[in-house]
Amino acid sequence: MLAFHIGKFILKRTLKFVTLLFAVVVLTFMLVSLSPVDPIQSYLGAEMMVVSEEQKEEIAEYYGVNQPKLQQFFKWLKMFLQGDLGTSLVYRQDVLSIIQEKFVASFALMALSWSMAGILGYALGVIAGMNKGTFADRAIKLYCFVLASTPTFWIAILLLIVFSLWLGLFPIGLGTPIGVVSEQVTWLDRLKHILLPAATLSVIGVSNITLHTRQKVIDVLDSEFIRFARAKGEEGFTLFKRHVFRNTLFPAISVHFASFGELFGGAILAEQVFSYPGLGLAIVQAGLNSDVPLMMGIVVFSTFFVFIGNLLADVLYTMIDLRMKNGEAI
Amino acid sequence: MRAYHQSLLMSMLIAACFFLAACTSQSSDLETGTKKDSLVLAIGSEPEDGFDPTTGWGRYGSPLFQSTLLTLDRNFNVQHDLAVDYNVSDDGLEWTVKIRDDVKFSDGEPLTIDDVIFTFETAKNSQSVVDLQNLKKMEKLDSHTVKFILEKPQSTFLYTLTMLGIVPKHAYSENYRENPVGSGPYKLVQWDKGQQLIVEENPYYYGKKSYFKKLTFLFLSEDAAFLAAKAGQVDMAAVPVNLAKEKIPGMKLIALDSVDNRGIMMPFVKPRYDSEKGVAIGHEVTSDPAIRKALNIAIDREKLVEDVLEGFGTPAYSVADNLPWWNEDTIIEDGDAEAAEKILMDAGWTKNAEGIFEKKGIKASFALVYPASDQTRQSLAIAFKQMAKKIGIEVKTEGKSWNEIEKVMHTTPVVMGWGSHDPIEMYHLYHSKYRGQGYSNANYYSNKKVDQYMDQAIHAATQEEANEYWKKAQWDGETGFSALGDAPWIWLVNLQHLYFVNEHLNIGGQKIQPHGHGWPVTEFIADWTWDE
Repeated sequence: MLAFHIGKFILKRTLKFVTLLFAVVVLTFMLVSLSPVDPIQSYLGAEMMVVSEEQKEEIAEYYGVNQPKLQQFFKWLKMFLQGDLGTSLVYRQDVLSIIQEKFVASFALMALSWSMAGILGYALGVIAGMNKGTFADRAIKLYCFVLASTPTFWIAILLLIVFSLWLGLFPIGLGTPIGVVSEQVTWLDRLKHILLPAATLSVIGVSNITLHTRQKVIDVLDSEFIRFARAKGEEGFTLFKRHVFRNTLFPAISVHFASFGELFGGAILAEQVFSYPGLGLAIVQAGLNSDVPLMMGIVVFSTFFVFIGNLLADVLYTMIDLRMKNGEAI
Repeated sequence: MRAYHQSLLMSMLIAACFFLAACTSQSSDLETGTKKDSLVLAIGSEPEDGFDPTTGWGRYGSPLFQSTLLTLDRNFNVQHDLAVDYNVSDDGLEWTVKIRDDVKFSDGEPLTIDDVIFTFETAKNSQSVVDLQNLKKMEKLDSHTVKFILEKPQSTFLYTLTMLGIVPKHAYSENYRENPVGSGPYKLVQWDKGQQLIVEENPYYYGKKSYFKKLTFLFLSEDAAFLAAKAGQVDMAAVPVNLAKEKIPGMKLIALDSVDNRGIMMPFVKPRYDSEKGVAIGHEVTSDPAIRKALNIAIDREKLVEDVLEGFGTPAYSVADNLPWWNEDTIIEDGDAEAAEKILMDAGWTKNAEGIFEKKGIKASFALVYPASDQTRQSLAIAFKQMAKKIGIEVKTEGKSWNEIEKVMHTTPVVMGWGSHDPIEMYHLYHSKYRGQGYSNANYYSNKKVDQYMDQAIHAATQEEANEYWKKAQWDGETGFSALGDAPWIWLVNLQHLYFVNEHLNIGGQKIQPHGHGWPVTEFIADWTWDE
């Protein structure tokens, strides 16, 4: 029964996604086409003055500057529907392999920080909610509000200076140790390199889940069955374990799924500061150089990624809703 | 504290300790050994399109993995590399090059003339910065000799021969840019995109063996490179001017002279409409040669270097200072406000009540545009404005995006920067046939004598002959495109390229650096040593 509802829900959502994707694709293409950036100037820079006009025309042809935009769009669409994302103009490599290469690294970073933020955020939210009004609660709320307004790169640089430069505990950046051939890189090495960027993202990413959980905890603690449990003499960690936990965990997770989109943006900033390999630099290069295939590829990919996040969040919510409606225990 | 509080806090603390413990036992990232034979450098930006010379890799400085037919030594004299001999026909159309017969690629295969021909063909079709439009065809004369046939004589084809690394026909595919097999001093070991490049010496290399067996290049942002230097993680780091005055124990700052110049392009003609290109061109004030000459003399270039570049630069009198095609007679005495004002007065300008020069009702006033994202150019524009004000010329500075600059550059002075190891740059900047073609000669400069000299330079058979003509075009005693002559530009400063270098590392003498910093400094890496 539940499975059927979920299935129907996913199907409807997927259809909506297809329409959304089409709209995003059209809009992105329009924006890139309207971009005032001259890809030839971006590409050549100072070498502009040693390249002949004829060669500049060849380069213009390569960048598709003189092609009618509508034609370019339909060409891209046709290739896309056949599963071909085209070749990046900047990297001279096919888009799919670029995204695969760079996304794997970004994904590791995002997954780690997402989990860290989730666990830490939930814990903080519970502590705050169960101790409403106390110093701990106020401190946690303050922390969330301050961090939600702090720029990612600022935290990143701060962590870098403190932990890498002054304390020398972590490397100054990159994904693997300097000068070490990949066969000799250990899991510990990789962990060391990913920790600071992940810490940056999680430190900032907790605000949402913390505050949301805190409110949920407060709501739950106000309910009838909690009063009944307290009357029985339950309190503290037992109260939490038996009642609060299972009523607040799912909502917390689903709210956290919805922050997938922010994760993407934040990861890009953190990558810049830590010189961590990922999609970050690729997107910037694609934009600044009017690399249409790469730009479109990354946009499609991130739209899909955010969609999955939101879908999972909504599915979880629906499950909670349905269970509650049917009177089942969550 | 309640029980659950305590256990939660406890578990978080334990987790934190675990991570810290795991990390404090880190071993040094740098190798420690008796003889230092590897280097870590954070100097250049990553070539996005990889290490393929046919799409522009290694144009300046050694292409690291590949070798070129010819090279230019520190004094810009032509030296043989892969080539053992070359000559140019009298009409300048045929270039015959003979190569060595003992060269092997890093995979052990011999390098033949087929590889040379293949390289040039591939480059020609690459639709990249490598410009071989003028190459008509190539003839293989024998297994080690090729004849390049050009459409038109071009003395600067020489520079192409020094910039295009040779790729192996047998090992070339679309993945070549990630796996560049070549005949150069080093071969690629590992490339972690966006992070680092590890290379080691090529055992088949025919040239001078480098002191260093292994090099690691890190692709870090300027700030990250500086941080890495401070943390003792790199042996060499490129830094911007604002970090140059910092002190890093164990490292010294090296400032390299360059032709990475900055100057002001002044519209040369009176305002009118170019119907062919469909754009408005010219400026009433800057088209007066007295204005341009006066400004050239009034500007104190040493002061600009001190104030804007913190001393890390040299005055610029042309687009090619200190290069073999530069006419050193064109250095002018600057910082002379009196002489500048005299020039203006002799040309009929008189100061009005506000102290600004006027002539026939027109104020000596113009807008000066600079790319808004570039702080150095902005500072130069502002400093220029102040110096101009001292001699009664009013300048209004405006920051714009490159896109907007393209629209106004024919009618407004712009702070630009060029500087190349190829004199064809001067050809594109100053020859009248390029007027209005994109950024080339965007200020519509023209002088028939200058055109003539430059055409002769292009047609010249030897470097020496070409350089003589390039110099005449700047000043032949009566006219030219330098500040002594028509002064269509007001050149200001040459930047210095700044690197923090480990005090034991000796990078030897360097060429005058081109516009871009980073890779060009590795050109003579075979000569670097480590002094304990």
